[in-house]
Amino acid sequence: MLITELKAKETIASQLGSKVFVIFCHGCKEIRFPEKEADDLLEELTAAGKVTGSITTDYICDPDQLKLRLEKFAAAIEGADTILVASCGVGVQTVASMFESKKVVAACDTYALPGFQGVTPLEHDCKQCGECYLNLTGGICPLTACSKSLVNGQCGGCKDGKCEVDPGMECGWERIQKRLAQIGRLDALKAPIQIRNYATDVNI
Amino acid sequence: MENYTKYQLKAADELASVLSGVDDLFVVACNKCYKEYDTMVEPDLDAFLELAKAQGKNVTGAMRLDFLCNKTQTAKRLVDAIPEGTKNVFVVSCGLGVQTMAYVDELPTFAACDSINYPGHHGMALTKKRCDACAQCYLTTTGGICPIVDCSKSLVNGQCGGAKDGKCEVDPNKDCAWEKIQQRLEKQGRIGELTAQPVQVRDWSKVNFKVINDYVKAIRATRQEGWYGGIHPVEGKEPTEHLGLVRFPEPKTVVLPMSMHLGAPATPIVEVGDKVKVGQKIGEAAGFISAPIHSSVSGTVIAIEDRPHATRGTCLSVVIESDGLGTVHEDVKPNKPLEELSPDEIIEIVKNAGIVGMGGAGFPTYVKLKPNKPIEAVLVNACECEPMLTADHRMLLEFADDIIFGLQAEMKTVAAPKGIIVIEENKPDAIALLREKTAGLEGIEVLEVATQYPQGGEKMLIKRAMGRSVPSGGLPADVGACVSNVSTVKAIADAIRTGMPLVERVTTVTGKYIPNPGNFIVKLGTSAAELVAHCGGISAEDVTIKAGGPMMGFPQTTLDTPIMKGSNGIIAIDTDVTEPQECIKCGRCVDVCPMELKPLHFVKLAGASDWQGCKDMNIMDCMECRCCEYICSSKLPLVTMIKMGKNGVRGMK
Amino acid sequence: MRITELFDNGQFVVTAEVGPPKGIDASHVVEEAKEYLSGITAVNVTDNQSSVMRMGSLPACVMLKNAGLTPILQLTCRDRNRIALQSELLGAAALGIDNILCLTGDHTKMGDHPGAKPVFDLDSVSLLHTVCQLEKGVDLGGNELVGEAPKFAKGAVVSPCSDSVDAQLAKMERKVMAGAEYFQTQAVFDSEKFIQFMEKAKQFGKPVQLGVIIPKSAGMAKFMNKNVAGVHVPQEMIDALAADKERAKAGITGVEIAAKIIKECRPYCQGVHIMALGWEAKVPQLLELAGI
Repeated sequence: MLITELKAKETIASQLGSKVFVIFCHGCKEIRFPEKEADDLLEELTAAGKVTGSITTDYICDPDQLKLRLEKFAAAIEGADTILVASCGVGVQTVASMFESKKVVAACDTYALPGFQGVTPLEHDCKQCGECYLNLTGGICPLTACSKSLVNGQCGGCKDGKCEVDPGMECGWERIQKRLAQIGRLDALKAPIQIRNYATDVNI
Repeated sequence: MENYTKYQLKAADELASVLSGVDDLFVVACNKCYKEYDTMVEPDLDAFLELAKAQGKNVTGAMRLDFLCNKTQTAKRLVDAIPEGTKNVFVVSCGLGVQTMAYVDELPTFAACDSINYPGHHGMALTKKRCDACAQCYLTTTGGICPIVDCSKSLVNGQCGGAKDGKCEVDPNKDCAWEKIQQRLEKQGRIGELTAQPVQVRDWSKVNFKVINDYVKAIRATRQEGWYGGIHPVEGKEPTEHLGLVRFPEPKTVVLPMSMHLGAPATPIVEVGDKVKVGQKIGEAAGFISAPIHSSVSGTVIAIEDRPHATRGTCLSVVIESDGLGTVHEDVKPNKPLEELSPDEIIEIVKNAGIVGMGGAGFPTYVKLKPNKPIEAVLVNACECEPMLTADHRMLLEFADDIIFGLQAEMKTVAAPKGIIVIEENKPDAIALLREKTAGLEGIEVLEVATQYPQGGEKMLIKRAMGRSVPSGGLPADVGACVSNVSTVKAIADAIRTGMPLVERVTTVTGKYIPNPGNFIVKLGTSAAELVAHCGGISAEDVTIKAGGPMMGFPQTTLDTPIMKGSNGIIAIDTDVTEPQECIKCGRCVDVCPMELKPLHFVKLAGASDWQGCKDMNIMDCMECRCCEYICSSKLPLVTMIKMGKNGVRGMK
Repeated sequence: MRITELFDNGQFVVTAEVGPPKGIDASHVVEEAKEYLSGITAVNVTDNQSSVMRMGSLPACVMLKNAGLTPILQLTCRDRNRIALQSELLGAAALGIDNILCLTGDHTKMGDHPGAKPVFDLDSVSLLHTVCQLEKGVDLGGNELVGEAPKFAKGAVVSPCSDSVDAQLAKMERKVMAGAEYFQTQAVFDSEKFIQFMEKAKQFGKPVQLGVIIPKSAGMAKFMNKNVAGVHVPQEMIDALAADKERAKAGITGVEIAAKIIKECRPYCQGVHIMALGWEAKVPQLLELAGI
């Protein structure tokens, strides 16, 4: 479930050929998709006579469904030298591997999302570090609640309980400290020195 | 299908050390996500319980939940779930479940699992392709192969010296991403583009959890107003929202089905050959939950027979050939002024006019006007949350006075001190007009609400407007509400002021494949085919035609069906060519279900004819709004399965 | 000379800090240090302070050492992973730098390369632990070092006037666990707060050097209050600085304030660390006024 924003118009324009087939993915639109901006872009390209066809659909990361959906656009795709895809990176890669000989242009950048937000993105993040620290921190994740992802305690940058990077963000370790005090588990702070293991990934 | 499930139990020795010194545990396990839905019961909880038991721990209880990270649903399930005497909560889930639990419960919360570390994000289909959400997509210059995810070093300026036989130095089984990029670009003749591009330097400043969290929260806060779930499909209202209502030409024949409402079909009271006039009753209500039918034209009854029907295959219908004169029946005459009418008189007028819920459900309106509980507010449902349809919108703009009159009549009938006209924010002109017209009218207000489907669902509307939840199986009156659609209210006004029963309505004809879309005032019984032909026909083959909107509309195999009391639109749209795939437990149906159900399970349960299971998961609360089917990443026919499940439950002894 | 030996001898240890230049000519840094800081125990050399790119700490340390001073190598975790940090430590030891101060470091976004990747592979605590490992002749990966193991005086920092003082104390305890032998504090302007902090910190049994900044003006004091974590200049000091601008500008007021704090706190700490921020020339005067 990724959030995207459209790249600068000039960046997209500089990559397009003379004939373009356009694919918009609304799959994760409930979280957000730059719908209006994308529609405006399509309108402009159409007005410029560049568009051989377009489809607005969802979940283009699913190659089987995408194939079925693109069947009726075979001629329009054939006639295009570029396929413009507004989606997250998975969608662009899926389209690119379906049309290996065509230039596929990514219309969007994702918002940086370092970790998993869950099936209902809300206020927690799991960085999927592979070595859960929550037992030592009262259930507040030090990797995502601390700008520096520190695992051994607060840095000196905390001011008024806020993070040095973003004064609008509560210091993660301040929260952890409070939580541990609240649940009577301040002893967790005496755990052995933590050193992160960056080799937990299942495939690299 | 790849398995991207998010957690695994911590190693036994680590768990043993976490468990040492804590006791009286309550265990919550997440049913996992992003893996093929092959079992309702994941094994990890049992494994943990066994381990805890072996350590001699007292377990006060355990429960399995779907999607622990869904805070709303998790919090709801946890109310009173944790037994007295529990001192610690152990959570079998990824870090999100643990964090969510730590927030909904004040007991010390422990993680029994480690997350599984996959670089990058998979999509909503579980393929091998992943996106790191790096915020600066490189795929255009790299031929659609991601250098961030696919290269072990995430290099963005070309291959390192470590590739051997086209394989990565880190994992000899893995293709070197830059080798693949090279080959792809060679194939496309684009190597020059790669070498000519400026040196790439990554920008790490965008990585910030807080920004993304705040952003998502803000979006959800503004989009999900007042009630849980819902969706935001493409509105598609632009083609018709500015087109004024047009009176559709008098049809030559009308086909009036005896069932245009919920409940028992009406009984025809005319015979073939009878002459009828406009507003003359031709079908008698057949019971308490039923409604009479009136002729919409003057002419001759030429047949009483089964005819195609938009929602139920075929239906006994009275077919009338119009004489084109539109002679109004003698019984149609204005009633006393509203001030002089008693509630019972109004109910009688509404009942005799054959007025039913015109939003689609077709529930006889007079029944709603006789609530057995005090009513605090009459809500006029002017949300028109259904995409593409604009009939209600045009009604608001062109018949505002009638709508206000109808609302006042309803308020008087049910003795409601308040009347609230609820309009979605995507109709600012209607909101402004109604606000202007109701200014100074006591008890009446116009409420602007977020554009969010299904805002117009009765229960959502009441939740949003009054902050009250209609209990499972209950009625709006149970919480002091009476809800009517805009067209219904207008019909009540007509019935009182002119005495004309319900013989016409407003309908939108639109869609990508309708050349000249529009909003029409149509005589009931007019053929959909005639309407569509008037709008230029259907401009392509293999399109889907629906009676109603894209969400709640009924797919039509023929246009040879009549416009009925609940017909708010005819649309011609793209046909869905997808094929259902296995459920991947993405949780999106749970996230959007406004009734807070877990639709994914109904597919499995109904498929296995487990009606008791369906019932236990409150399948009967489903209002078939189709949010789950819309959002389903596996394109499962959820509503079809749910309907099957409901039938199964109804058939249970 | 490791400054821990001085603490052990009960000496009141005075240190100050200098920042390497953004360029290759560090001669003025060395000259100033020679002129004004020769009288004190040791000189900290900052490591890309405030995430602003400068010459490295280690080469500047070597230059100071060659000029006859005792440098303390500051090492942050922001710019190097565990491999680079260990390698830097071995290099320092080889060049005769045996005083270090381990910090996490400001976030990259605070500095002049906000798009840089923040590393934070280790943090101050795990860095101290790593140093201890090296001292045992083993690296963090468990591999044996060849030949003699390095030996450092391992310092760390703590922020006594932080509004999160409990979290700071918890972190301090972890630093002690990890092997910190002495502490330098963030600048203190509130003696009472510092004394309260020391009441709690003394349980760890490690020497603490009072952090001191000479306030240059009321504006600077207000700026620090607003922007610098763990620093709070009381209103009466700001008023004193504002009362006579000329006097403040000449440094007289600031030196008086700093000296007063040192005097008040001296009985409770084991040394003082002066962050002169360009006013290195005032250090001798300050020490004299403080009676050191």
